[in-house]
This record gives sequence, C-alpha cells and structure tokens, in this order.
Amino acid sequence: MPLTTLLRHVMLPWCLLWNITLHADSDYTLGEGIQVGDLPVYIGGYFSVDYRNRDDEQRYRVDDVAFLSYGGNDTLSYMLELEYKELYVHTQDSGNRTIERDTHLYVERVHLNYNIDDHYTLRVGKYNSPIGFWNLMHINVLRETTSNPVSSYILYPMFTTGANLTYSTFHQAAWSIDLIAQRGKAIDNGYNNYAIDRHFGIGISYEYNNFTCKLSGGYFRNIPRRYEQNAYYALVAAQYESDRYQIQGELGSQRSSHAFTTTYAGYLQGTYYMTERHIGIVRLESYQNNLLDRRDSFALLGYTYRPLYPIALKTEYQWHTRNSDNQLLFSFSVLF
Amino acid sequence: MRRNFALPFIVILLSWHCAAQEYVVIGNKALPQLSVTQIRAVYLKKLPRIATIKTVPVNLGAGNPLRQSFERTVLQMGFQRLQSYWSRQHYLGHRPPVTMKSQESALAFVKNVEGAIAYIHAALVDDEVHVLYRWNE
Repeated sequence: MPLTTLLRHVMLPWCLLWNITLHADSDYTLGEGIQVGDLPVYIGGYFSVDYRNRDDEQRYRVDDVAFLSYGGNDTLSYMLELEYKELYVHTQDSGNRTIERDTHLYVERVHLNYNIDDHYTLRVGKYNSPIGFWNLMHINVLRETTSNPVSSYILYPMFTTGANLTYSTFHQAAWSIDLIAQRGKAIDNGYNNYAIDRHFGIGISYEYNNFTCKLSGGYFRNIPRRYEQNAYYALVAAQYESDRYQIQGELGSQRSSHAFTTTYAGYLQGTYYMTERHIGIVRLESYQNNLLDRRDSFALLGYTYRPLYPIALKTEYQWHTRNSDNQLLFSFSVLF
Repeated sequence: MRRNFALPFIVILLSWHCAAQEYVVIGNKALPQLSVTQIRAVYLKKLPRIATIKTVPVNLGAGNPLRQSFERTVLQMGFQRLQSYWSRQHYLGHRPPVTMKSQESALAFVKNVEGAIAYIHAALVDDEVHVLYRWNE
C-alpha cells in the first residue's frame, strides 16, 4: 500500500478520531463509542483483517475499516456509517500474486429514525434490511465466525434504501412487524450484495424469554435488468440463547418469476461459551444455487478468543462436499 | 419426640427466610404498571417510550451485587451476554442505560424524573414511587 494512500485513508481518520477522543468523556469503554463533548452525538467504528488458506490459494485482506456516528433524542435520531471495504487484498495462487486496493469510501448506512409513539418507529434512508438474525450483526467483530453463512448473502438484499416502518409490542411476549419499502435508486448500490431499485418486504418477529423466531418474505428487482430481474424470497429463522450457549438457524429460498433461483439455503449454528473469553462454534450449512448451478453442504468448526468482548481473534476450518472449497480462516477485529 | 425432630428444620427455614433480601424495581409515579417483559424491554432500550413518556432506565455501577442480581433475575442475562448485547446495540446506534453510584441517588432520580425506572432494596421504598416488580434473593 503506498504511503500516501495509507496516510490519507487510514491514518488521517484515526488521528481525527484520536483527537476527538481527547476532548470527549474520559469514561470511555471500548466497544461503546465516545460522546462528542456534551452533544447527543457518538462516534465509533470497527476494523477487521483476515487470512484465508485454500489448497490453491492464499489471501490476506484488510476487509473493513469503518466509522460510525449516531445520536439524537428519544424522538428523532440518525445513523451514519462509512466504510472502506477490501481496502487491501493480497492473493497468492499457483504462480500468481495479485494485489487489489479499493479506496472508495462507501456509504454503508445512513438513516433517520423517528419514534412515532411507543409502538411505531419510522426509518428513512439506507439501512440493514431487517431480515433474519445474521443480517443485523454481519460485521466481523459482532459475529462468532470469520465467514458469513451463504444464506445471508444469496437470498435477499442486505441493504435497502427507502423506508422501514416497525410496529412492536411488549406484554408477556414481544412481537414486532417490519415493513420494508424501496422504490428508486439506492444509495451507494456498490455496497450491497444485489444492485437493486425495488425492494418490498415484511418481517414478523416473536420473542419469549430466551427464544426468538422470525419470518420474512419479500420482492426485489435487480439492476441492470437482466433475465432474472425480479426475485422473491422467504426466510424463517429461530434462535435460543442462554448465558452458556446459543443455537441459531435460518432457512430460506429465492425464486424468479419463472423458477427457483436458490432452491434452499440455510444453516444451523451452535455456539458454546466455555468462558467469557473462549467460545466454540459448530455450523452446518447447505444450499442449492440454480443460477450458478452450484450445490454444496459443509461443516464448520471454529474457535474465538475475546480478551475483551469488542476484540475478537477467530479461527475456523470448513469441510465442504466440494473438496476444493475446504478452507482455513483467521481474523482479527476490533469494535471501538 | 416428633416436635424435637422438626425444630431444627423450622429454625433453618426461618433463618433462610430472614437472610433472603427483598429487592424492587421502582418507577416514577407518571409511569403505569409494567410487566416483566416491558421492564426488560425498557432496560434493553427496546421500549424508548410508554404512551407519551420517555423511559429512562437507571443502572447501578458495574460489579454492584444488586445490579448483578437484577440482571440475572429480571433481565435473565449474564455479564458476558449483556456485553455482547450492548456492543451490538452500539453498532445499531443505541446507548446503554445511565449509571448511578448509589441506590439513594437512583431513588431520588426516579422521584424527580418522569419515566425513570431503577432497582433498589425494598426497605428503601417510600410512597413517592411506584413498585413495579419484587424479587427475593
């Protein structure tokens, strides 16, 4: 990475953040951001680096360098997230070495939230599509594995630009309903798993004690408008969580107007907290993607060490039915 | 003979009962009665308002035994799980509850701030606050 690029894109924002830190509340807790003076404004961020080893390839990557800012009051609030994605990628395969840099600063999220009353919240802007569990905590440091389940990026758009109306109610159990709507151009479509100009969806969530289940479905339209321009998806997700372990699963499907594009994609993951710092993970995944004519099932065994919760050192190994996809992954990530 | 045999058990039961501490979740008088699920939602910042009232949950300091008891009994979440939860909430743009150093200051805060909610020893309660929930430990 050239020195000027490093200075401009990494050191400068870090120095700015450090400078603000000096003028902010001294009771700083890593992973909770800092308050800017006495304003109702908080800043923070995260980064991650990772390493992947396959039979035919090795890859080193600065995956995420992101800055967060949010704040407001109980009625109106905002969220802004800017991110360098794959800032530096070094790949070595049989005889070839490639280095790629993406120095574009993407808008990952930017939205306003309006708490209409104690049941309704309206969000406008670019936001994480409220679908399943994984999509709401997909950044490296917040999940327990370096890799994301395949079902989290081949079924539905991870981000939506438009409106999201949430209704929630809390009595003996908690219920919430999300309505998702995008009609028009997205903000920074380059930072999404699908480039879309339409997305309409609905999600229902039920939570009782430590058990939560979610049901989501929707429609989106790809751009450029290719053969498979319209897609419909459905996803069911469930989770049981205790202090010692967590069991989480998601299963979904996607189809076009003509046929199933992804017949099924899902995972079942068990997480065991051996201590506060040592975490073991087992995940089973399976999918059939008809667009790519690809079908695979695999098992993942992982271990995460968190010296403090917002710092994660992870390793995992994946065994695939397609042996060439077997891989070893390491990552280091921090939330600040 | 039978009475002599039962006596030690009665003494043990009584002493256990006397040793158990009673705690309460209290709310400002402007707040209505809340279910445990609602109290949990307020503390996890999922319920920012009740009717027109802004909810203001108050925690005692990290490591305070009463806070640990509250988190275990009412929130049903341990330290590690709550850390994980608040890290995720930081990513989603939500802040953890404010912290007070003592139960007395938490009680005074609840009396004076509309929508405030806290937890204290039952012995400290007076009629200027609502008792929303009781538990023993």
